[in-house]
Amino acid sequence: MSGTTARHGAGAGARVGIDVGGTFTDFVLSHPADGRLVHYKEPSTPDDPARAVVRGLVNCAAKAGLAPGEVSLLLHGTTIGLNAIIQRAGARIGLVVTTGFRDILEIARSRMPSSFDFHARKEEPLVPRDRVFEIEARFDPRGHATRTPDAAALDALASAIRAARLDAVALVTVNGYAAPEAEGAIADALQARCAGIAVTSAARIWPEIREYERTLVACLNAYIQPLMQGYFARLASGLAEIGTGAQVFVTASNGGSMSLDSAVARPVETILSGPASGVMAAARLAGAAVTGTEVPAIITFDMGGTSSDIAVALDGEPEFATRTEVGGLPLVLPVVAVSAIGAGGGSIVWIDDHGVLKVGPRSAGADPGPVAYGRGGREPTVTDAYLATGLIDPSRFLGGRMTLDRGAAEAALAGIAARIGLDGAAPAAAGALAVATAGMATELFKTLAQRGLDPADFTLVPFGGAGPTHANLLAQEAGIARVVVPPAAGTFCALGAVSADLRRDFVRSLRTPLEAGSAGRLAATFAALAGEGRAWLEGEGRFAGDVRLQRAADMRYAGQAYELRVGLDHLPDDAPEAAFAEAFHLEHERVYGFRDASAPIQVTTLRLAVIGRTPSLPLPHLPAAQGDPVPRGTRPVYLAGRWHEAAVFDRATLAAGHAFAGPAVVEQEDTTVIVLPGWGAHLDQAGNLHLIRSARA
Amino acid sequence: MRLDPVTLEILGNKVAAAAEEMCFTLQRTGRTLYVKETADFACALAGLDGTFFAYPRSIGVSGFVALDCLPAIAAVGELEPGDVVLTNDPYRSVGLATHLPDLHLIEPYFHDGRIVAYGWAFVHCSDVGGRVPSSISPVNHEIFQEGLQIPPVKLVRKGRMNADVELLFRANSRTPDANMGDIRAMLAALATGRRRVEGLIAQHGVGAFLAGQADLLDYAAEKARRVLRRVPDGVYRFSDFLDDDAVTSLPVRLALALTVRDGTVTLDFTGTDPQVAAAMNVPSHGEPHAWLTLRVLALVNTLDPTAPLNRGLLRHVAIVAPKGSLVNPEHPAAVGVRHAAAIRVNDLLNGALGLALPETMPAASSGLVVPLVVAEATEEAAPNVQVVEPMIGGTGARYGADGVDGRDSGISNLANNPVETVEAEVGIEVLRYALRPDSGGAGRWRGGSGLDLTFRVLGEGSQVLARGLERLRFRPWGMRGGHPGAPTEFVLNPGTPGERRFGKIDLLPVARGDVVSLRTAGAGGYGDPAERDPGLVLADVRRGLVSAEAARAVYGVVLADGAVDATETARLRADLPPRGPAHDHGRERATYEQVFTADLLDRLNAALFRLPLARRTAMRRAIHARVLADLPGAFPGHEDVPTRTHRARLVAEIEALEGRVHP
Repeated sequence: MSGTTARHGAGAGARVGIDVGGTFTDFVLSHPADGRLVHYKEPSTPDDPARAVVRGLVNCAAKAGLAPGEVSLLLHGTTIGLNAIIQRAGARIGLVVTTGFRDILEIARSRMPSSFDFHARKEEPLVPRDRVFEIEARFDPRGHATRTPDAAALDALASAIRAARLDAVALVTVNGYAAPEAEGAIADALQARCAGIAVTSAARIWPEIREYERTLVACLNAYIQPLMQGYFARLASGLAEIGTGAQVFVTASNGGSMSLDSAVARPVETILSGPASGVMAAARLAGAAVTGTEVPAIITFDMGGTSSDIAVALDGEPEFATRTEVGGLPLVLPVVAVSAIGAGGGSIVWIDDHGVLKVGPRSAGADPGPVAYGRGGREPTVTDAYLATGLIDPSRFLGGRMTLDRGAAEAALAGIAARIGLDGAAPAAAGALAVATAGMATELFKTLAQRGLDPADFTLVPFGGAGPTHANLLAQEAGIARVVVPPAAGTFCALGAVSADLRRDFVRSLRTPLEAGSAGRLAATFAALAGEGRAWLEGEGRFAGDVRLQRAADMRYAGQAYELRVGLDHLPDDAPEAAFAEAFHLEHERVYGFRDASAPIQVTTLRLAVIGRTPSLPLPHLPAAQGDPVPRGTRPVYLAGRWHEAAVFDRATLAAGHAFAGPAVVEQEDTTVIVLPGWGAHLDQAGNLHLIRSARA
Repeated sequence: MRLDPVTLEILGNKVAAAAEEMCFTLQRTGRTLYVKETADFACALAGLDGTFFAYPRSIGVSGFVALDCLPAIAAVGELEPGDVVLTNDPYRSVGLATHLPDLHLIEPYFHDGRIVAYGWAFVHCSDVGGRVPSSISPVNHEIFQEGLQIPPVKLVRKGRMNADVELLFRANSRTPDANMGDIRAMLAALATGRRRVEGLIAQHGVGAFLAGQADLLDYAAEKARRVLRRVPDGVYRFSDFLDDDAVTSLPVRLALALTVRDGTVTLDFTGTDPQVAAAMNVPSHGEPHAWLTLRVLALVNTLDPTAPLNRGLLRHVAIVAPKGSLVNPEHPAAVGVRHAAAIRVNDLLNGALGLALPETMPAASSGLVVPLVVAEATEEAAPNVQVVEPMIGGTGARYGADGVDGRDSGISNLANNPVETVEAEVGIEVLRYALRPDSGGAGRWRGGSGLDLTFRVLGEGSQVLARGLERLRFRPWGMRGGHPGAPTEFVLNPGTPGERRFGKIDLLPVARGDVVSLRTAGAGGYGDPAERDPGLVLADVRRGLVSAEAARAVYGVVLADGAVDATETARLRADLPPRGPAHDHGRERATYEQVFTADLLDRLNAALFRLPLARRTAMRRAIHARVLADLPGAFPGHEDVPTRTHRARLVAEIEALEGRVHP
């Protein structure tokens, strides 16, 4: 099996998607013979995640009846970079800036985390002020050098950097975005003088206007580079030991993937890959028209231990954000837009000094975890509330890999009930779930309101451990009429990884008025970006065949402070200025409700994504149902203020076309799905479980 | 509480989210700079008493939670479904509006024929007429110069725009289309609020909705009181100064007696100067108004961030603000830049609370917000006007923590402008945008550093506007032995033979090649600098925020070969004079108060307030002028002045005045 020529069409080996989580490392293997998907979970090894990856790969391949050598392609998501940033445990890095801008990280964008809390601190800068060096290097807004360092200045800087015992250095010059090659040349000159200390040029890695944000891209890259490099080296040697020559690709925050070499050069592009992969899998599923005749507009809902996240996808394409936050720092790289909306399974249920029932924001996390875990947790959590209301079965948690103590959960919630005058654990648990659900729904409303979207127009697609359990509650509260629970929702991020496209984003800031003659400049810039993109794709060693280029521009009316990102895929390469203008007017109308036909338009930044399409995975095809579904039994569940005797189905026994009404429980290997009273459920041919509101509750 | 603990939590979250959703609607549909860029707007839900039971936390102007809609509602008489009230009049809305560019809308929300809540929205619009474009100038001295005053009127009647009001309003603005755009955005926000209220009532019932409003206010009031009970009972007196009132060079005094009894707070501003003939008066109407209580709200939120944001937070706060004073002006006092005084009111409350809670409250923050603007001549008629940076300083040090360098959210939490976007828009080259070394007040905990913005002018015929320059004369005070921060400096062509230093300046013409430098004040320090951990002093020196000279002279820390010389440091520190526990306002204020003592200023103001309003300003100016007549022009910048004779002159002036008002 040769790694360098591996393609994943016919005749190739297995491809495997891997998602490393805090508790489990998830695997999804696409079988080379019949496209069948094999799911597998291996306990994570946080001290060295590569161990669980290698061991799990062996086990997952064995589960599929394959030897590790028959795996040709690994698509790998990792949170090593993210964790290092959050814990501020990255490399010892330095920053080189234009003279006069030493405090670029201290001043940042000037905002404090709170307007009201005068004890609030600002974020810890990635580089302390004594490791920030100034250099006489600068450009004007058109990219002409106004100050250029001579050899002596570079020598002096290099010796200061060496003396500071740094692992890596980021270089940022004012207006460098307008001259990425020239800034890159300075970085090269510095690199030549600092062997063994990686130098990242901000303009080369992300030439977008706004010096603070670009500085962070470069600093974050430098900050996690040594760690990631070490991790990938350990992984490679682990893989060699088990005899697999599989090519390794790394998933990215933009929902795509890249080669190991690219990931080592630009690890900053990988830091939010985990959630992005899950959203991509859900978007793809919606793109496969599982929602039937409606417009496939979905909200993904990922409920984990400490929080819940949502994302929006329209027509199979997730929304992207160019401003997110990582460890308290803004990140401007395009990433799949994921928003936190509140409680997770470990969020703590408590009563405040004034007798009001609260859920979160504190979380028991995985350790000690919920009371029912029996690991010393004393305060009840959302997971304990699921148990006390009968929504989950203590003996089947995580497919029976862990037995929960329902009695302990009930005792803890009975304590809550006693303090607020409720009769027993179940009403208190239901109250806690109502508070958590209302909190999520209000955050969901706000998140969508910022984009002018109405949740009622969407289908909810839950994944993650608790997402399917809570999805119907959230849908009911938020006025969402349909939920689609994919099969194997618990390993969804790994599924997203295994089907990830190759993808990289490119950017160039122009800041030019849209006027006669500017279309040529825009076309030329797009052509240059496309050239870079294609060259990158060819260098990745896994050319999937179908290449897509997505073009967009950030534009605004002159004088406006905010730019709008305008998709330009519908325009031909030689589109005239008027076509660009009309695209902007239309988008402005869509988002803000008006156009200003008389105002001059400015183009500030051009964006291009190059996508090497991965062939879709074959969809599973369930046998058609023969007769009605047969429940495994029933159990009491406390919903809508009283106990119901709910049918309990085993998802593995359900067939396409099977339908039943709530209240009902569907248990599957990695999660439990709740169907509320007033809702109906059915399975489609691809194994998706649809929950449909049948009556207004 | 009227509601059960589950429903109350759910309703509380929902109404707060509804207020935020209203804001998102406004932000998305608004089209002017104030909406899109500086987020100078807000929306909320008010109860039948006109006060807010739901206020946004994450978006919009944070400080207006204490406003009261009731006088504006009462002014228009009976309301019907589909009516919307408009006002911008600080006097006739009794302090709902606080300057004329703020357009406030109120819509009654009905259920089954009766009002169950009010939606409220405001936007700082671009222009409402008046003497200058944008309607705001610090040197306006009557509200008539500040634009059209709109008493509470029905802008919309039963869902139809009142065409007469619109006509009148449009005719009195330089930006009528933009204003109507802002109004449409507010109407959209009010509609969002109405839909959310309808949904809440459909889900929870009107009884629960109304009970929830009252419960949420009670809940916030209880939480606030619990925090305020941590303030020891007593009377705490504090005063602070604005450098001047923008039209004269006379300092403006703010005085406060803060009385605390079992978690109830009275803020008595007696002793504060009379309203000024400039635009910085704060129209509070003697109520616990947003601009007078911000620091109390911040204290509650700092110590209990879970308290819901609503008017209940101020239930146990009372105000005494003399009529006709800076903090309770009478019509037609101008109020356009009332936030300039509000910044100092914040310091005043902070200082008084610091006497009561010395281990909770910080020293003074830098205390200024200066949008530094360049207006560049263009080929067209209108100049190219750009904000270079909104210049602020740092926050004061407090027990256990240094102040924050170069950032301060005490009054507003605005984002700055990327230097690259500024340079792309206007002809300047920014040479330095950095923290200002040795500016943060020394202390056991160091005050936050100010900022240094230095740029070279590249174009011809430009002007620099530095509105809001403050703390040039009186420094941000230090606490408990901490030093004050360095004062603000505004310099043209620094370090050249042509260097010029400016005091407060509104507008500075500059030539191509000129270098302009604004260095904002540092914040106050906390505790005796001789008690600062020498390791922290060393770290500050390494980071370049404290010079080795200052380390030695102020902190008594001797550094050698990049390390602390412990022996020399101990020796030096033994010789440093001990620092008392009092606030250190800096030598300028100390000098000033040798003439203008607190007692005398209290007496002077007491006498002035017995004069008719119309005569106070002139009398105050005349007395000051006579006392200052033969003091050096730089007073109180020079220390060695014969203050005793001048103080005697002030006493004579006061006695003469007292004789006249007490015949």
